Amino acid sequence: MSKKATRSTKPKPDPDAVPQKPTVSAAKKVFYIADNLLQAEDGEQRMRLERFYHPGKGQLAWFITHQDRHIMEVLEYAEPRRSWLLNNEVCSNGRTYMTTPFDATLLALHHLRKHCSQRAMSLDSIGVDESDTSVNRLLTKFTNATSLKCVSDVKVSGDLTFYKYNAERTLAWLALKTRGIVAVLKAKQVHCGLGAKSENYVRSEKLVTETDVNEMDYMRMACDYVGRYLDADLHEELTRYLHIPSEIQALVEEKSTAQKRKSQQGQQGANSKKIKLANGEDAASKLRNSSLLDSDDAKESVTSPPTPAPLKERTMTAKEKALAKGAKGSKSIASFFKAK
Amino acid sequence: MSITLDFDIQQLDNKRPMQLHYLPAKIVGDGECTDVDKHFNNYTRDTPEFGKGILSNALRGYPLLGKRESVPKGYKGLVLQETDENQADRQLRLTGTFQDFTYWNYDKVPSKGDGYQQALVMLEVAEALAAPISEDALENEMKLQQQAKKENA
Repeated sequence: MSKKATRSTKPKPDPDAVPQKPTVSAAKKVFYIADNLLQAEDGEQRMRLERFYHPGKGQLAWFITHQDRHIMEVLEYAEPRRSWLLNNEVCSNGRTYMTTPFDATLLALHHLRKHCSQRAMSLDSIGVDESDTSVNRLLTKFTNATSLKCVSDVKVSGDLTFYKYNAERTLAWLALKTRGIVAVLKAKQVHCGLGAKSENYVRSEKLVTETDVNEMDYMRMACDYVGRYLDADLHEELTRYLHIPSEIQALVEEKSTAQKRKSQQGQQGANSKKIKLANGEDAASKLRNSSLLDSDDAKESVTSPPTPAPLKERTMTAKEKALAKGAKGSKSIASFFKAK
Repeated sequence: MSITLDFDIQQLDNKRPMQLHYLPAKIVGDGECTDVDKHFNNYTRDTPEFGKGILSNALRGYPLLGKRESVPKGYKGLVLQETDENQADRQLRLTGTFQDFTYWNYDKVPSKGDGYQQALVMLEVAEALAAPISEDALENEMKLQQQAKKENA
Protein backbone atom coordinates (compact mmCIF):
# COMPACT_ATOMS: atom_id res chain seq x y z
CA MET A 1 0.00 0.00 0.00
CA SER A 2 1.43 3.32 -0.87
CA LYS A 3 1.78 6.01 1.74
CA LYS A 4 -0.66 8.13 -0.12
CA ALA A 5 -3.33 5.51 -0.04
CA THR A 6 -3.00 5.05 3.69
CA ARG A 7 -3.44 8.70 4.19
CA SER A 8 -6.52 8.93 2.06
CA THR A 9 -8.03 5.88 3.67
CA LYS A 10 -7.21 7.10 7.12
CA PRO A 11 -10.36 6.96 9.16
CA LYS A 12 -11.84 10.25 10.17
CA PRO A 13 -12.63 10.64 13.84
CA ASP A 14 -16.22 11.63 13.71
CA PRO A 15 -18.82 9.96 11.52
CA ASP A 16 -21.03 12.97 12.03
CA ALA A 17 -18.47 15.54 11.06
CA VAL A 18 -19.95 15.48 7.56
CA PRO A 19 -21.33 18.90 6.93
CA GLN A 20 -25.00 18.15 6.68
CA LYS A 21 -27.60 20.53 5.47
CA PRO A 22 -30.74 20.63 7.56
CA THR A 23 -32.70 19.15 4.69
CA VAL A 24 -30.65 15.95 4.73
CA SER A 25 -30.99 15.19 8.41
CA ALA A 26 -32.35 11.84 7.35
CA ALA A 27 -29.10 10.92 5.58
CA LYS A 28 -28.43 7.24 5.57
CA LYS A 29 -25.20 5.60 6.53
CA VAL A 30 -23.69 2.39 5.25
CA PHE A 31 -22.18 0.22 7.97
CA TYR A 32 -20.23 -3.01 7.97
CA ILE A 33 -20.93 -4.54 11.33
CA ALA A 34 -18.97 -7.51 12.56
CA ASP A 35 -20.94 -10.71 13.01
CA ASN A 36 -19.77 -11.16 16.58
CA LEU A 37 -21.51 -7.94 17.56
CA LEU A 38 -24.66 -9.23 15.94
CA GLN A 39 -24.79 -12.45 17.91
CA ALA A 40 -27.30 -11.45 20.45
CA GLU A 41 -27.99 -13.53 23.46
CA ASP A 42 -30.58 -11.07 24.43
CA GLY A 43 -32.55 -9.12 21.86
CA GLU A 44 -33.38 -6.34 24.26
CA GLN A 45 -29.86 -4.99 24.36
CA ARG A 46 -29.10 -2.36 21.77
CA MET A 47 -25.74 -1.60 20.25
CA ARG A 48 -24.49 1.86 20.98
CA LEU A 49 -22.08 4.26 19.39
CA GLU A 50 -20.04 5.90 22.11
CA ARG A 51 -17.17 8.29 22.25
CA PHE A 52 -13.97 7.58 24.15
CA TYR A 53 -10.75 9.50 24.37
CA HIS A 54 -8.42 8.38 21.58
CA PRO A 55 -4.80 9.13 22.55
CA GLY A 56 -3.49 9.03 18.98
CA LYS A 57 -5.98 11.62 17.87
CA GLY A 58 -5.93 13.55 21.11
CA GLN A 59 -9.70 13.78 21.12
CA LEU A 60 -12.81 11.70 21.44
CA ALA A 61 -13.48 9.11 18.78
CA TRP A 62 -16.39 6.82 18.02
CA PHE A 63 -16.51 3.25 19.18
CA ILE A 64 -19.33 0.77 19.05
CA THR A 65 -20.27 -1.09 22.18
CA HIS A 66 -22.64 -3.88 22.92
CA GLN A 67 -24.01 -5.24 26.15
CA ASP A 68 -21.52 -3.18 28.12
CA ARG A 69 -18.91 -5.77 27.35
CA HIS A 70 -17.91 -5.75 23.72
CA ILE A 71 -16.16 -2.84 22.15
CA MET A 72 -15.10 -2.29 18.56
CA GLU A 73 -13.63 0.67 16.83
CA VAL A 74 -15.61 2.45 14.13
CA LEU A 75 -13.36 3.10 11.18
CA GLU A 76 -14.59 5.28 8.42
CA TYR A 77 -13.65 4.77 4.81
CA ALA A 78 -14.08 7.93 2.77
CA GLU A 79 -13.11 8.67 -0.80
CA PRO A 80 -13.42 12.17 -2.19
CA ARG A 81 -15.99 11.38 -4.86
CA ARG A 82 -18.24 8.55 -3.83
CA SER A 83 -21.94 8.13 -3.31
CA TRP A 84 -24.20 5.22 -2.64
CA LEU A 85 -27.25 4.24 -4.55
CA LEU A 86 -29.55 2.40 -2.14
CA ASN A 87 -32.39 0.75 -3.98
CA ASN A 88 -33.96 3.76 -5.68
CA GLU A 89 -32.42 6.32 -3.41
CA VAL A 90 -29.31 8.45 -3.69
CA CYS A 91 -27.15 8.69 -0.59
CA SER A 92 -24.65 11.53 -0.92
CA ASN A 93 -22.69 10.26 2.07
CA GLY A 94 -20.36 7.91 0.21
CA ARG A 95 -18.63 6.75 3.34
CA THR A 96 -18.51 3.25 4.68
CA TYR A 97 -18.32 2.77 8.42
CA MET A 98 -16.65 -0.45 9.47
CA THR A 99 -16.45 -1.89 12.95
CA THR A 100 -13.03 -3.37 13.58
CA PRO A 101 -11.84 -5.52 16.46
CA PHE A 102 -10.26 -3.43 19.12
CA ASP A 103 -8.29 -3.92 22.30
CA ALA A 104 -9.50 -1.39 24.85
CA THR A 105 -6.17 -1.74 26.63
CA LEU A 106 -4.75 0.64 24.02
CA LEU A 107 -7.16 3.30 25.20
CA ALA A 108 -6.63 2.39 28.82
CA LEU A 109 -2.87 2.86 28.42
CA HIS A 110 -3.29 6.59 28.20
CA HIS A 111 -5.12 6.71 31.51
CA LEU A 112 -2.76 4.25 33.18
CA ARG A 113 0.21 6.34 32.14
CA LYS A 114 -1.48 9.45 33.38
CA HIS A 115 -2.67 8.19 36.74
CA CYS A 116 -0.84 4.99 37.60
CA SER A 117 2.79 5.58 36.71
CA GLN A 118 3.71 6.47 40.29
CA ARG A 119 1.25 4.49 42.33
CA ALA A 120 -1.06 1.55 41.85
CA MET A 121 -4.72 2.34 41.56
CA SER A 122 -7.86 0.33 41.13
CA LEU A 123 -9.62 0.91 37.85
CA ASP A 124 -12.84 2.17 39.32
CA SER A 125 -11.03 4.94 41.16
CA ILE A 126 -9.52 6.39 38.00
CA GLY A 127 -11.39 9.22 36.40
CA VAL A 128 -14.20 9.30 38.94
CA ASP A 129 -13.65 12.92 39.73
CA GLU A 130 -13.68 13.92 36.07
CA SER A 131 -16.84 15.31 34.57
CA ASP A 132 -16.44 12.97 31.64
CA THR A 133 -17.77 9.60 32.74
CA SER A 134 -16.49 7.84 29.62
CA VAL A 135 -13.06 7.24 31.17
CA ASN A 136 -14.50 5.39 34.10
CA ARG A 137 -16.91 3.50 31.88
CA LEU A 138 -14.12 2.47 29.55
CA LEU A 139 -11.84 1.21 32.29
CA THR A 140 -14.43 -0.65 34.29
CA LYS A 141 -16.46 -2.21 31.50
CA PHE A 142 -14.39 -2.76 28.40
CA THR A 143 -10.84 -3.52 29.46
CA ASN A 144 -9.90 -7.07 30.22
CA ALA A 145 -7.66 -8.18 33.02
CA THR A 146 -5.33 -10.44 31.03
CA SER A 147 -4.50 -7.66 28.61
CA LEU A 148 -4.06 -5.09 31.34
CA LYS A 149 -1.60 -7.43 33.00
CA CYS A 150 0.59 -7.04 29.91
CA VAL A 151 1.04 -3.33 30.48
CA SER A 152 1.04 -3.05 34.23
CA ASP A 153 1.98 -4.59 37.55
CA VAL A 154 -1.04 -6.05 39.21
CA LYS A 155 -1.55 -6.15 42.92
CA VAL A 156 -4.49 -7.92 44.41
CA SER A 157 -5.68 -7.13 47.86
CA GLY A 158 -8.87 -8.77 48.91
CA ASP A 159 -11.54 -7.99 46.35
CA LEU A 160 -9.65 -5.06 44.96
CA THR A 161 -7.17 -5.16 42.12
CA PHE A 162 -4.65 -2.40 41.73
CA TYR A 163 -2.75 -1.58 38.59
CA LYS A 164 0.54 0.22 38.20
CA TYR A 165 1.85 1.17 34.79
CA ASN A 166 4.91 -0.81 33.74
CA ALA A 167 6.82 0.74 30.85
CA GLU A 168 8.98 -2.29 30.15
CA ARG A 169 6.06 -4.67 29.82
CA THR A 170 4.12 -2.15 27.77
CA LEU A 171 6.89 -1.76 25.23
CA ALA A 172 7.36 -5.50 24.94
CA TRP A 173 3.61 -5.89 24.51
CA LEU A 174 3.46 -3.20 21.83
CA ALA A 175 6.47 -4.67 20.07
CA LEU A 176 4.71 -8.04 19.86
CA LYS A 177 1.63 -6.34 18.47
CA THR A 178 3.77 -4.57 15.90
CA ARG A 179 5.32 -7.86 14.81
CA GLY A 180 1.85 -9.32 14.45
CA ILE A 181 0.95 -6.52 12.09
CA VAL A 182 4.16 -6.98 10.12
CA ALA A 183 3.10 -10.56 9.51
CA VAL A 184 -0.28 -9.42 8.17
CA LEU A 185 1.23 -6.74 5.96
CA LYS A 186 3.62 -9.30 4.53
CA ALA A 187 0.93 -11.88 3.98
CA LYS A 188 -1.16 -9.27 2.21
CA GLN A 189 1.88 -8.14 0.21
CA VAL A 190 1.23 -4.56 1.09
CA HIS A 191 3.79 -2.24 -0.39
CA CYS A 192 5.44 -0.46 2.53
CA GLY A 193 8.44 1.09 0.86
CA LEU A 194 8.90 4.75 0.18
CA GLY A 195 7.01 6.40 -2.61
CA ALA A 196 4.10 5.21 -4.66
CA LYS A 197 4.42 2.35 -7.07
CA SER A 198 2.22 1.06 -9.78
CA GLU A 199 0.37 -2.01 -8.69
CA ASN A 200 1.67 -3.80 -11.75
CA TYR A 201 5.22 -3.64 -10.49
CA VAL A 202 4.79 -3.99 -6.78
CA ARG A 203 4.28 -7.70 -6.77
CA SER A 204 7.36 -8.66 -8.72
CA GLU A 205 9.35 -6.16 -6.72
CA LYS A 206 8.31 -8.00 -3.57
CA LEU A 207 9.58 -11.31 -4.84
CA VAL A 208 12.96 -9.93 -5.76
CA THR A 209 13.82 -7.84 -2.73
CA GLU A 210 13.14 -9.56 0.53
CA THR A 211 16.00 -7.69 2.14
CA ASP A 212 16.52 -6.16 5.52
CA VAL A 213 15.67 -2.72 4.21
CA ASN A 214 12.31 -4.05 3.21
CA GLU A 215 11.88 -5.62 6.62
CA MET A 216 12.47 -2.23 8.17
CA ASP A 217 9.87 -0.64 5.91
CA TYR A 218 7.30 -3.16 7.10
CA MET A 219 8.37 -2.55 10.66
CA ARG A 220 8.02 1.19 10.26
CA MET A 221 4.59 0.92 8.70
CA ALA A 222 3.39 -1.44 11.43
CA CYS A 223 4.88 0.71 14.15
CA ASP A 224 3.22 3.78 12.70
CA TYR A 225 -0.05 1.91 12.67
CA VAL A 226 0.27 0.95 16.32
CA GLY A 227 1.45 4.46 17.05
CA ARG A 228 -1.82 5.85 15.78
CA TYR A 229 -3.39 4.61 18.98
CA LEU A 230 -0.69 5.85 21.32
CA ASP A 231 0.36 9.07 22.94
CA ALA A 232 3.06 10.72 20.85
CA ASP A 233 5.80 10.15 23.43
CA LEU A 234 4.94 6.48 23.82
CA HIS A 235 5.02 6.10 20.04
CA GLU A 236 8.52 7.56 20.04
CA GLU A 237 9.58 5.16 22.78
CA LEU A 238 8.25 2.26 20.76
CA THR A 239 10.09 3.45 17.66
CA ARG A 240 13.32 3.56 19.65
CA TYR A 241 12.62 0.18 21.24
CA LEU A 242 12.20 -1.41 17.83
CA HIS A 243 15.29 0.42 16.52
CA ILE A 244 13.42 1.94 13.63
CA PRO A 245 15.33 4.76 12.01
CA SER A 246 13.22 7.71 10.98
CA GLU A 247 12.16 7.85 7.38
CA ILE A 248 14.48 10.73 6.55
CA GLN A 249 17.37 9.02 8.26
CA ALA A 250 16.63 5.87 6.30
CA LEU A 251 16.58 7.85 3.07
CA VAL A 252 19.91 9.44 3.85
CA GLU A 253 21.44 6.10 4.74
CA GLU A 254 20.12 4.53 1.61
CA LYS A 255 21.66 7.32 -0.43
CA SER A 256 24.97 7.09 1.34
CA THR A 257 25.19 3.34 0.75
CA ALA A 258 24.34 3.91 -2.88
CA GLN A 259 27.10 6.46 -3.11
CA LYS A 260 29.48 4.29 -1.19
CA ARG A 261 29.75 1.99 -4.13
CA LYS A 262 31.24 4.75 -6.20
CA SER A 263 33.41 6.09 -3.42
CA GLN A 264 34.54 2.62 -2.45
CA GLN A 265 36.19 2.35 -5.82
CA GLY A 266 37.89 5.61 -5.06
CA GLN A 267 38.88 4.31 -1.66
CA GLN A 268 40.42 1.26 -3.18
CA GLY A 269 42.46 3.54 -5.35
CA ALA A 270 43.42 5.51 -2.29
CA ASN A 271 44.28 2.33 -0.49
CA SER A 272 46.59 1.26 -3.21
CA LYS A 273 48.20 4.68 -3.01
CA LYS A 274 48.53 4.28 0.74
CA ILE A 275 50.22 1.01 0.25
CA LYS A 276 52.67 2.70 -2.03
CA LEU A 277 53.08 5.42 0.53
CA ALA A 278 53.69 2.87 3.21
CA ASN A 279 56.26 1.30 1.00
CA GLY A 280 57.78 4.67 0.52
CA GLU A 281 57.84 5.20 4.23
CA ASP A 282 59.33 1.85 4.64
CA ALA A 283 61.93 2.80 2.17
CA ALA A 284 62.52 6.03 4.00
CA SER A 285 62.83 4.35 7.34
CA LYS A 286 65.13 1.80 5.86
CA LEU A 287 67.18 4.61 4.54
CA ARG A 288 67.18 6.24 7.92
CA ASN A 289 68.01 3.06 9.67
CA SER A 290 70.82 2.46 7.37
CA SER A 291 71.96 5.98 8.27
CA LEU A 292 72.66 6.71 4.69
CA LEU A 293 70.74 9.94 5.09
CA ASP A 294 71.19 12.80 7.50
CA SER A 295 68.80 12.51 10.41
CA ASP A 296 67.26 15.93 9.64
CA ASP A 297 66.51 14.96 6.14
CA ALA A 298 64.99 11.77 7.29
CA LYS A 299 62.72 13.59 9.68
CA GLU A 300 61.62 15.91 6.98
CA SER A 301 60.80 13.13 4.67
CA VAL A 302 58.68 11.47 7.32
CA THR A 303 56.84 14.50 8.63
CA SER A 304 56.19 16.24 5.36
CA PRO A 305 52.84 15.08 4.16
CA PRO A 306 52.93 13.26 0.92
CA THR A 307 51.78 15.58 -1.82
CA PRO A 308 48.28 14.49 -2.64
CA ALA A 309 47.93 13.17 -6.11
CA PRO A 310 45.76 15.58 -8.10
CA LEU A 311 42.21 14.33 -7.97
CA LYS A 312 41.18 12.87 -11.21
CA GLU A 313 38.27 14.80 -12.62
CA ARG A 314 35.12 12.85 -12.00
CA THR A 315 33.67 11.47 -15.16
CA MET A 316 30.13 12.64 -15.65
CA THR A 317 27.36 10.15 -15.92
CA ALA A 318 25.07 10.25 -18.92
CA LYS A 319 22.36 11.83 -16.81
CA GLU A 320 24.62 14.58 -15.55
CA LYS A 321 25.82 15.23 -19.06
CA ALA A 322 22.27 15.60 -20.25
CA LEU A 323 21.56 17.96 -17.38
CA ALA A 324 24.62 20.03 -18.11
CA LYS A 325 23.65 20.21 -21.76
CA GLY A 326 20.17 21.35 -20.87
CA ALA A 327 21.51 23.95 -18.49
CA LYS A 328 23.79 25.48 -21.12
CA GLY A 329 23.02 29.13 -21.66
CA SER A 330 20.82 29.40 -18.60
CA LYS A 331 21.73 31.67 -15.72
CA SER A 332 23.30 30.29 -12.63
CA ILE A 333 20.79 29.90 -9.85
CA ALA A 334 22.87 32.13 -7.61
CA SER A 335 22.30 35.04 -9.95
CA PHE A 336 18.66 35.13 -8.94
CA PHE A 337 19.52 35.84 -5.35
CA LYS A 338 22.04 38.60 -5.93
CA ALA A 339 21.18 42.05 -4.66
CA LYS A 340 20.32 44.27 -7.58
CA MET B 1 -22.67 11.23 24.37
CA SER B 2 -23.87 8.14 22.68
CA ILE B 3 -26.04 7.04 19.84
CA THR B 4 -28.25 4.00 20.18
CA LEU B 5 -28.57 1.66 17.25
CA ASP B 6 -32.21 1.16 17.74
CA PHE B 7 -33.10 -2.17 16.22
CA ASP B 8 -33.51 -5.73 17.27
CA ILE B 9 -30.55 -7.81 16.17
CA GLN B 10 -32.72 -10.89 15.84
CA GLN B 11 -34.89 -9.15 13.26
CA LEU B 12 -31.99 -8.57 10.88
CA ASP B 13 -32.41 -11.71 8.84
CA ASN B 14 -36.06 -11.07 8.13
CA LYS B 15 -35.28 -8.00 6.08
CA ARG B 16 -35.21 -8.23 2.31
CA PRO B 17 -31.66 -7.48 1.12
CA MET B 18 -31.17 -4.06 -0.41
CA GLN B 19 -29.61 -3.38 -3.74
CA LEU B 20 -26.59 -1.13 -3.55
CA HIS B 21 -24.36 0.63 -6.04
CA TYR B 22 -21.15 2.32 -4.95
CA LEU B 23 -20.83 5.14 -7.46
CA PRO B 24 -17.62 7.02 -8.30
CA ALA B 25 -19.28 10.40 -8.21
CA LYS B 26 -20.12 13.10 -5.77
CA ILE B 27 -23.84 13.65 -5.85
CA VAL B 28 -25.25 16.72 -4.21
CA GLY B 29 -28.55 15.71 -2.80
CA ASP B 30 -30.22 12.79 -1.10
CA GLY B 31 -33.42 10.91 -1.44
CA GLU B 32 -35.60 9.20 -4.01
CA CYS B 33 -34.33 9.35 -7.54
CA THR B 34 -35.36 7.64 -10.69
CA ASP B 35 -36.30 4.02 -11.23
CA VAL B 36 -32.83 2.54 -10.90
CA ASP B 37 -33.82 -0.80 -12.39
CA LYS B 38 -35.21 0.77 -15.52
CA HIS B 39 -32.63 3.48 -16.10
CA PHE B 40 -29.45 1.99 -14.72
CA ASN B 41 -29.51 -1.74 -14.04
CA ASN B 42 -31.09 -2.29 -17.41
CA TYR B 43 -27.88 -1.12 -19.07
CA THR B 44 -25.40 -3.11 -17.03
CA ARG B 45 -23.42 -5.35 -19.35
CA ASP B 46 -20.85 -8.07 -18.86
CA THR B 47 -17.54 -7.03 -20.34
CA PRO B 48 -15.29 -10.09 -20.23
CA GLU B 49 -12.64 -8.30 -22.32
CA PHE B 50 -11.66 -6.36 -19.18
CA GLY B 51 -11.52 -9.44 -16.99
CA LYS B 52 -13.72 -11.95 -15.27
CA GLY B 53 -16.86 -10.55 -13.71
CA ILE B 54 -16.24 -7.00 -14.89
CA LEU B 55 -19.41 -5.07 -15.66
CA SER B 56 -19.88 -1.90 -17.61
CA ASN B 57 -22.47 0.81 -17.55
CA ALA B 58 -22.63 4.55 -17.86
CA LEU B 59 -23.68 7.36 -15.59
CA ARG B 60 -24.70 10.52 -17.43
CA GLY B 61 -22.66 9.40 -20.38
CA TYR B 62 -19.55 8.69 -18.36
CA PRO B 63 -18.36 5.13 -18.75
CA LEU B 64 -18.28 3.00 -15.63
CA LEU B 65 -16.55 -0.29 -14.99
CA GLY B 66 -17.79 -2.29 -12.09
CA LYS B 67 -17.67 -5.52 -10.21
CA ARG B 68 -19.87 -7.35 -7.76
CA GLU B 69 -18.34 -7.15 -4.32
CA SER B 70 -19.44 -8.88 -1.16
CA VAL B 71 -19.30 -7.45 2.28
CA PRO B 72 -16.05 -8.72 3.87
CA LYS B 73 -16.22 -12.10 5.52
CA GLY B 74 -17.38 -11.91 9.09
CA TYR B 75 -19.32 -8.71 8.50
CA LYS B 76 -22.85 -7.78 7.67
CA GLY B 77 -23.82 -4.75 5.64
CA LEU B 78 -26.38 -2.50 7.27
CA VAL B 79 -27.96 0.71 6.13
CA LEU B 80 -28.86 2.90 9.06
CA GLN B 81 -30.72 6.14 9.18
CA GLU B 82 -30.78 8.79 11.83
CA THR B 83 -34.25 10.08 12.54
CA ASP B 84 -33.48 13.34 14.24
CA GLU B 85 -29.96 14.30 15.11
CA ASN B 86 -30.96 17.28 17.20
CA GLN B 87 -32.48 15.08 19.86
CA ALA B 88 -30.50 14.64 23.03
CA ASP B 89 -30.93 10.90 22.81
CA ARG B 90 -29.70 10.15 19.33
CA GLN B 91 -30.85 7.06 17.54
CA LEU B 92 -30.02 5.21 14.36
CA ARG B 93 -32.79 3.14 12.83
CA LEU B 94 -32.32 0.19 10.54
CA THR B 95 -33.28 0.76 6.92
CA GLY B 96 -32.08 -2.51 5.47
CA THR B 97 -29.29 -5.03 5.15
CA PHE B 98 -27.13 -6.24 2.30
CA GLN B 99 -24.53 -8.92 1.68
CA ASP B 100 -23.21 -7.67 -1.66
CA PHE B 101 -23.21 -4.59 -3.81
CA THR B 102 -21.82 -3.35 -7.11
CA TYR B 103 -18.60 -1.42 -6.91
CA TRP B 104 -18.21 1.04 -9.79
CA ASN B 105 -15.10 2.79 -10.99
CA TYR B 106 -15.00 5.60 -13.47
CA ASP B 107 -13.04 4.51 -16.52
CA LYS B 108 -10.80 2.16 -14.55
CA VAL B 109 -11.03 -1.59 -14.10
CA PRO B 110 -11.70 -2.36 -10.41
CA SER B 111 -8.52 -3.81 -8.98
CA LYS B 112 -6.54 -4.30 -5.83
CA GLY B 113 -5.09 -0.85 -6.32
CA ASP B 114 -8.42 0.79 -5.52
CA GLY B 115 -8.63 2.63 -2.26
CA TYR B 116 -11.58 0.56 -1.19
CA GLN B 117 -9.69 -2.70 -1.57
CA GLN B 118 -6.76 -1.30 0.36
CA ALA B 119 -9.06 -0.17 3.11
CA LEU B 120 -10.19 -3.74 3.54
CA VAL B 121 -6.63 -4.74 4.40
CA MET B 122 -7.02 -2.49 7.40
CA LEU B 123 -9.68 -4.80 8.76
CA GLU B 124 -7.12 -7.55 9.03
CA VAL B 125 -4.46 -5.24 10.36
CA ALA B 126 -6.88 -4.14 13.05
CA GLU B 127 -7.52 -7.77 13.86
CA ALA B 128 -3.80 -8.35 14.30
CA LEU B 129 -3.57 -5.33 16.56
CA ALA B 130 -6.43 -6.51 18.70
CA ALA B 131 -5.16 -10.08 18.94
CA PRO B 132 -4.37 -10.92 22.57
CA ILE B 133 -0.73 -11.44 23.51
CA SER B 134 0.01 -14.42 25.70
CA GLU B 135 1.89 -14.07 28.93
CA ASP B 136 4.58 -16.48 27.70
CA ALA B 137 5.24 -14.49 24.56
CA LEU B 138 5.53 -11.35 26.62
CA GLU B 139 8.00 -12.89 29.08
CA ASN B 140 10.02 -14.18 26.18
CA GLU B 141 10.12 -10.79 24.50
CA MET B 142 11.27 -9.13 27.70
CA LYS B 143 14.02 -11.69 28.17
CA LEU B 144 15.25 -11.11 24.64
CA GLN B 145 15.19 -7.38 25.20
CA GLN B 146 17.25 -7.68 28.36
CA GLN B 147 19.75 -9.89 26.61
CA ALA B 148 20.06 -7.38 23.80
CA LYS B 149 20.65 -4.67 26.36
CA LYS B 150 23.38 -6.68 28.07
CA GLU B 151 25.07 -7.32 24.76
CA ASN B 152 25.05 -3.65 23.95
CA ALA B 153 26.31 -2.69 27.36
